[in-house]
Amino acid sequence: MLSFIGRSIIQKIITLFFVSVVSFLIIHLAPGKPSQVDPMNPKFTPEMVERFRLEFHLDKPLHTQYLYFYRDLFTGKTVSWKDNQSVLKKIWERFLNSLPLFIVGTILTWTLSFPIGIRSAIFRGGFYDRSTTFLAYLLISIPGFFFAYILIIFVVTHFHVPVIGMETFGLGASSWIRVAMDRVWHLLIPSILGATGGIAVLSRYVRSQMLEVEGQDYVRTARAKGLPPDQVHYKHALRNALLPFVTMFGLILPGLIGGSVIIESIFSWPGMGRMAYEAILARDYPVILTVNFVSAVLVLAGTFISDLLYLVVDPRIRL
Amino acid sequence: MTVKRILILAPLLVLVFLLQSYLWVPTYEQQTRGNPDRLNEFIAASIGDASLLNPILTADTASSQIEGMVFEGLIDRDENLYFRGRLASSWDVYEEAYFYVNDAASIPGRGKMPGEEIVDLLIRAKHENDLPDPGLKDALRNIMEVSAIPPREFEVFRSEKIPGELKEKRRIKINIKAPARIKLRLTSVDQDLFRHLTKILGANYFASFRGEQYISTEPDVSGVRLAEYAGELVPATENNPVLVFHLRPNVRFHDGHVFDANDVKFTFDAIMNPKNLSPRIADYEPVKTVEVIDPLTVRIVYKRLYSPAIGTWGMGILPEHILNHEALKKEAGRLGKDPDKFGMRQSTFNRHPVGCGPFVFQDWKSDQYITLKWFDGYWEGPPNYKRYMFRIIPDLLTQEMEFYAGTIDSYGVQPHQVNRLKTDPRFQCFSGASFGYTYIGYNMRRAPFDNPEVRKALGMAIDVDKIIDYVLYSQGEKITGPFVKQTDYYNHGIKPVPYDPAGALRLLAKAGWKPNKEGWLQKDGKKLQFTLITNSGNDLRKAILAIAQDAWRQIGIDVRTDLLEWSVFLQERVDKADFDALILGWSMGIEPDLYQIWHSSQTRPHQLNFVGFKNKEADELIIKIRQEYDREKQVKYCHILHEIIAREQPYTFLYVSKWTAVLDKRIVIRETDDKGNVVYKKITPTKTGNYNFYFNKWIKLRDAPDFSADG
Repeated sequence: MLSFIGRSIIQKIITLFFVSVVSFLIIHLAPGKPSQVDPMNPKFTPEMVERFRLEFHLDKPLHTQYLYFYRDLFTGKTVSWKDNQSVLKKIWERFLNSLPLFIVGTILTWTLSFPIGIRSAIFRGGFYDRSTTFLAYLLISIPGFFFAYILIIFVVTHFHVPVIGMETFGLGASSWIRVAMDRVWHLLIPSILGATGGIAVLSRYVRSQMLEVEGQDYVRTARAKGLPPDQVHYKHALRNALLPFVTMFGLILPGLIGGSVIIESIFSWPGMGRMAYEAILARDYPVILTVNFVSAVLVLAGTFISDLLYLVVDPRIRL
Repeated sequence: MTVKRILILAPLLVLVFLLQSYLWVPTYEQQTRGNPDRLNEFIAASIGDASLLNPILTADTASSQIEGMVFEGLIDRDENLYFRGRLASSWDVYEEAYFYVNDAASIPGRGKMPGEEIVDLLIRAKHENDLPDPGLKDALRNIMEVSAIPPREFEVFRSEKIPGELKEKRRIKINIKAPARIKLRLTSVDQDLFRHLTKILGANYFASFRGEQYISTEPDVSGVRLAEYAGELVPATENNPVLVFHLRPNVRFHDGHVFDANDVKFTFDAIMNPKNLSPRIADYEPVKTVEVIDPLTVRIVYKRLYSPAIGTWGMGILPEHILNHEALKKEAGRLGKDPDKFGMRQSTFNRHPVGCGPFVFQDWKSDQYITLKWFDGYWEGPPNYKRYMFRIIPDLLTQEMEFYAGTIDSYGVQPHQVNRLKTDPRFQCFSGASFGYTYIGYNMRRAPFDNPEVRKALGMAIDVDKIIDYVLYSQGEKITGPFVKQTDYYNHGIKPVPYDPAGALRLLAKAGWKPNKEGWLQKDGKKLQFTLITNSGNDLRKAILAIAQDAWRQIGIDVRTDLLEWSVFLQERVDKADFDALILGWSMGIEPDLYQIWHSSQTRPHQLNFVGFKNKEADELIIKIRQEYDREKQVKYCHILHEIIAREQPYTFLYVSKWTAVLDKRIVIRETDDKGNVVYKKITPTKTGNYNFYFNKWIKLRDAPDFSADG
């Protein structure tokens, strides 16, 4: 057990190193320059561009820049080129904004997928199963931004209430419950949109897992014993069907930092995804690389956690 | 079965909780009725967030918009785009001109003369009444004082790169034994002064002056470098325009500190401080000195004639007491940072600005909003709105939806929506031409674009009206030259190139391009073939690319097209001037300074005259416009320059796009008349189309007022 953990950590650190090198190279070798050294601005003289390059160490060879960047990152001194703010502070603020969206979206995905998927599995081939299958494929294939626009236009023109951003602007001094509920309302539509794709996919998984388990011998045995169908489905079958989902839980960790560029941009939600996207447009290397690094850490941590969860849940696996 | 019940109940509960929140959210009507404060605030939306709120450190639109409300400049432009005083109540412009006494030159009819005698000569000429040359007469009349400066010796140090070495620099000591100098004080700036004076002093008096003989360097520098130092340190003539600002008394910053001349000087010094990396440094490079005469007077002397310099003082003035060296040091100490590395760029001021504009900064949440509050101590009286919110909404469709939901007060309409929203009874609508144009530029270094007839013919083959109608949904106007259409610099007498494919063919035939058997144009056995490029990601340009290709193919030109990613487009094609023709746009300032885009000295790689436009006459006019301080003369020169450019057709000028903005009808102008009555007026745009010029007088009413009586 301990040796597995140790080995796994060492492997992940090596992977992380390569990720950091590759992402650094990709960003620096990609065409385009930080907006501060944009040569198309007639107001920028070559001397100024040169001075910015010096300030950002862009004149140094790539490996020195790499060392400078990671030295700053690990001492917490990286600052954004756009506004000189500490990158870690910026990420933390954005993370707190993305978090509610992520939590509500995840809750919706995981609570809704199970009942939907289980029911389709139980009534396999029936009208309900077919219509959920159809709906699931529709939701998977419909582009997120299109669905978002339809939903926004529908809500605004029929209900005449604002849906964009984290709160209603110009609400003024209202009671705390009003303010809180207003925030919940603004969370609702983006998180529903964020969850639709997840629900469609996850409910399919649940269905197929359930179907697989329902065909097992022990389920047939349980039925033959004369147990009520609910007990067979929810006690004997579901428990075993849950196994793969436990590991999936570890993998949603990276979603924390990824955010959703499209949903956050459409709803002008000041989250992580939007910050990273805007940083890429402005070629704000410190922000891009830090987000990249943190998400790489989270992905590796996520796989590590799901490995551990497997160990805990499935007694057949011993390392 | 509990598990089953939980599985069904849990999602239901979650959904019910989420959906009931709808009942708490105010609708469009409730927002203003239930919350009277909503009428006192204006909510604007922007696609991008501000970067820093410090006018000397930023150049982007979003930051400038906020800075314009928090900070105030010395001057700005009024309804007709003339300068008007803000923090400065008035200003004077005059000139100090110098020239060295040229010992080698002899003055016609008088021989060699020392300084004092030249002074007498000029004074006598000034009072002479029967001068034959009216230009000289005016120039002399413009001279207020003439005096002689005795010879002087001084030394300066310079560091320069050692040839052949990369980083090493050497220090050079330069000794100057300057001869006597004549100083002229002029009532108004006169760029032709020295040209006129040659009529008295002799044609070669200034041209034959050799500065090199008066300087010696240690270690020795030779030839060209020495001449450069001489030109810089002992110039034969020197024009120093002087700008004196008289500041408004008792103006205060938002923190109560009184604004004075030291703040102006401090702002200038901050821009020039290389540590601050100010993107505006180039605007202020021609400044020689900024002197504080008294707390309410600043005197700015320029190194050379440069009329766009006046406009640069519209720059927001920074509070010295918060940002000076001691204050920054203290701030560094408070934040626990290294004071040596802590400059203005690092200061928290950039996120909590203090200026003396009409609005006080309150709060800034990155990528969400910036809040401003009215400044009740504003020198012109506080604005009507108590709050100004600047929301960041990156998506245009959501901006529109927020506008309908009442959580934004104005919306920039996209071209295809104009017809729908223009007539909507809920809104008031404004539109105008923007300060920028789209063009097709030809690489004039390459054949066949080196022939103006060919360039004109190419322009004649394209139906710009159709582009405006179908690509821009009629939201554009034709343009014929590089000046802003709303200003008087633009020459409205110039007719746009007509759409005439047959005429285009005639012009091309004159240039030797005749159709071959297959219908392609051909000259000396070579097909007329080139590539038209533009950047990807701009749908308008992409559409024009296809239209131009099709139009040119129809008259027999084999045009290929290519879309390139923006940075590749710039670095590989534009910067290296490696293209045949391209589609691009320029945004323009009001100043008619065309030096960077049209002067022949700016045609090297990485410079902005990438089409390689070289015209001697145009060069002279561009310099003249830069040096002219008299608006009428400037307008005259601009009209001629516009004509030259329209004749030469280095670009096919396509269009300026029109913007349209809609506002809630309930927003009006509120004023108090002389008797103290409150008067409501409809918002009307200024002559140049600017509808929010009187923004400080705007207010939102509970119900839309009826202005039908006033028409």
